[in-house]
Amino acid sequence: MMVSLQDVSKTYAGAGATEALRNVSIDVREGEFLVILGPSGAGKSTLMRCINRLVEPTSGRIIVDGREVTSRRRELRAVRRQVGMVFQQFNLVKRLSVLMNVLSGRLAYHVFWRSLVYSFDEADKRIAIECLARVNMEHKAFQRADKLSGGEQQRVAIARALAQQPKVILADEPVASLDPKIARQVLTYLKQIAGELGITVLCNLHQVEYAREYAERVVGLSRGAVVFDGPSGKLTDDILQQIYYRDSEAGDDHDV
Amino acid sequence: MTMTFERDVAATLQTEAAHRRHRFVKGLGWGVLVGGVLWFTANQIGMNPLALIKGADHMWDFLTRMFPPDLSYIFFLGRGLVETIQIAVWGTLLAVAFSIPMSLLAARNTTPLIMLPWFTETWQRFGLHLLVFHLTRLFLNMLRGVNELIFALIFVSAVGLGPFAGVLAIALHATGMLAKFCGEEIEGVDQGQVEALQATGASKMQVILFAVIPQVIPAFISYSIFRFDVSIRSATVLGLVGAGGLGFSLIKTMKLFQYHQTATCILAIFLLVGASDWVCSKWRVKVI
Amino acid sequence: MADPVPAAQEDVFASLVKRKKWRLHHIFFLAAGIGFLAWAADGVNLRPRELASGIPKIAHYFVLMVPPKWGFAEMIWKPAIETIYIAVWGNVIASLIGLPLGVLAARNITRVASVRFVAKTTLNLFRSISELIWAIFFVAAVGLGPFPGAVALGMNYSGILGRLYAEAMENVDPGPVEALQATGAGRIQVILFAIFPQVLPQFVTYMLYWFEVGVRSATVLGMVGAGGIGFELVTTIKLFEFRETAVILLVIFGMVTIIDYASTLIRSRIY
Repeated sequence: MMVSLQDVSKTYAGAGATEALRNVSIDVREGEFLVILGPSGAGKSTLMRCINRLVEPTSGRIIVDGREVTSRRRELRAVRRQVGMVFQQFNLVKRLSVLMNVLSGRLAYHVFWRSLVYSFDEADKRIAIECLARVNMEHKAFQRADKLSGGEQQRVAIARALAQQPKVILADEPVASLDPKIARQVLTYLKQIAGELGITVLCNLHQVEYAREYAERVVGLSRGAVVFDGPSGKLTDDILQQIYYRDSEAGDDHDV
Repeated sequence: MTMTFERDVAATLQTEAAHRRHRFVKGLGWGVLVGGVLWFTANQIGMNPLALIKGADHMWDFLTRMFPPDLSYIFFLGRGLVETIQIAVWGTLLAVAFSIPMSLLAARNTTPLIMLPWFTETWQRFGLHLLVFHLTRLFLNMLRGVNELIFALIFVSAVGLGPFAGVLAIALHATGMLAKFCGEEIEGVDQGQVEALQATGASKMQVILFAVIPQVIPAFISYSIFRFDVSIRSATVLGLVGAGGLGFSLIKTMKLFQYHQTATCILAIFLLVGASDWVCSKWRVKVI
Repeated sequence: MADPVPAAQEDVFASLVKRKKWRLHHIFFLAAGIGFLAWAADGVNLRPRELASGIPKIAHYFVLMVPPKWGFAEMIWKPAIETIYIAVWGNVIASLIGLPLGVLAARNITRVASVRFVAKTTLNLFRSISELIWAIFFVAAVGLGPFPGAVALGMNYSGILGRLYAEAMENVDPGPVEALQATGAGRIQVILFAIFPQVLPQFVTYMLYWFEVGVRSATVLGMVGAGGIGFELVTTIKLFEFRETAVILLVIFGMVTIIDYASTLIRSRIY
């Protein structure tokens, strides 16, 4: 098992304590392309952020590549190095060049002295450019990140994650801000990465048709709990009903 | 497919090397320029870090003589504290009063001559319709360029020691800053609202009153509050030239070597500026 | 067709009624405010009589300044340029001290609240002590001259710039910051690669602006022996040599205008 979530729960304190995740247990094999499907507010983002500890789970264990994910700084850095993340808003540094953005994925492998002068060695640059070429963006390596279109920015973000040479890539709603044609391009890249490079890819999606098209295995999440875990072929309408309409009184944001 | 992949990667690496060389040369050029300027300047003013280290025991002596601060002295400072606030209040108030007309004069879209219809055509040809505008801007720049302390010094010479000179000094400088800022705000108003009112047939004066001025009021108030905060800080030192406020006690205690009391003055100034800072930021939030 | 006028009238009436409840409140504050202003005016001798006698005296002094004694410019151009040098190094020192303190004071960089508090308070302390007072302190330490003046300006401005830097850093887009943290990069690397690139244009703007303000502040440092044109300026005023004062003021005015113009040019090219 590359990624193993065991009974992970997350409750946000405060007025009307919200249970964002309830005893979630998922095992993901190496090289798998897993889609986590669910409406907004189901806890997909929280789940993903627990894996690289951008969010602290209230209880449960998470194991990545045999290492338990804790919040101790050095161990956490080692885990995060192995886990790349792609965000819905791309989160590139706008004023820096595409190449510099991808290179920043290599930072975790260096002590900070070299970073002070923003320099990287030849090996790093080669890795970065190869990652860019893999998503067909190497010809725009020297452009400023904010001059690119949405789809292009997301591809650069994927290259940045790849530059970490990770074992796992977490994609949190990577295509929610993109139109269908571009979205499919990006999802294809992600699937290729899982297949060709053997990287375990977890992808949060709320669009059912994408899940059906790209995923072999789907985990359905609704209100913080796993309601389905199986091949995408078995996604019947009944099950989708459960995922998306389980709590109509609560007035959640619904899709489909 | 792998062949083109390798070729693309190699090509990009080469371009990167070229970029890096270019960046290095550019950086070196700028570095030499900036470094040269700094080196030259440092020489001209006699920068000497060693002197600081040698003087360190003077400074340490100074600091140790200030501790512990004589807190009872606060009561003596009460008057100076109050005076400082009063100076800042009236200085800013006068500045606001003067700025209202002056900022209108200092904006290209509200300066008087453009409102007189028979002037517009001929005068515009020579740019003379902006005469008042240019003169006002020049005058305001003169007010801005001169430090309040200089004004205070001249005024103290003219009207004698005391806070009166201080108020006028602050008022003049603040008018320059406030009026220029508001002039620029007026120039930047949303033209849509102006045009809408013009279309109804309103006179130029009415357009200014009802379409231009209401738009700049929030920024005007916000900046005035900011100027008040700045005035408080300036008012604390006016005493050095005898124009009232805490500064006088500060310099007096220093000259009389009463360093424990000097520390109290510094503490009082620190608290006053901190309080003014806090009050002003809360106030500005309410206005916006 | 529904007549819109009665509805509008109702609204106006309703708002007037609301205002009636506030009337007492408002009057009280207004009265208190006026009272405060009157008391303050008295405290600073701002009375009509003073104004009536004072303004003509001041006007008289300004009249005495014309025509400026142009020949005097020869003697003062050197200290005038020195004023600019003081402003340059004052700002350099201010950034060298203000930047690290600002980083320590920024909420999204420093997690430990007590460190942030100490940094913030230090910046506020530096900020509230006027550069003149710092100048007196440093002149006592290293002697007369423009060097203590530059250091003094630097100390005061470090508080101002440091605070501005901290606020700018706190307001960056948190997305890229989170992204870089997720890659496992260390704190300093995150600052260098996600935060600094975002705040760079603001930093430059601040430095240019405060350099301009610094030149104006540096003009008075000479009053306490800290270099620049302040000493000559004060001397001419004390000796009632107003025509010479006029020349100095014009020189200052000229310098400030040129710098203002130059910085506007630079700012437009940065963006």
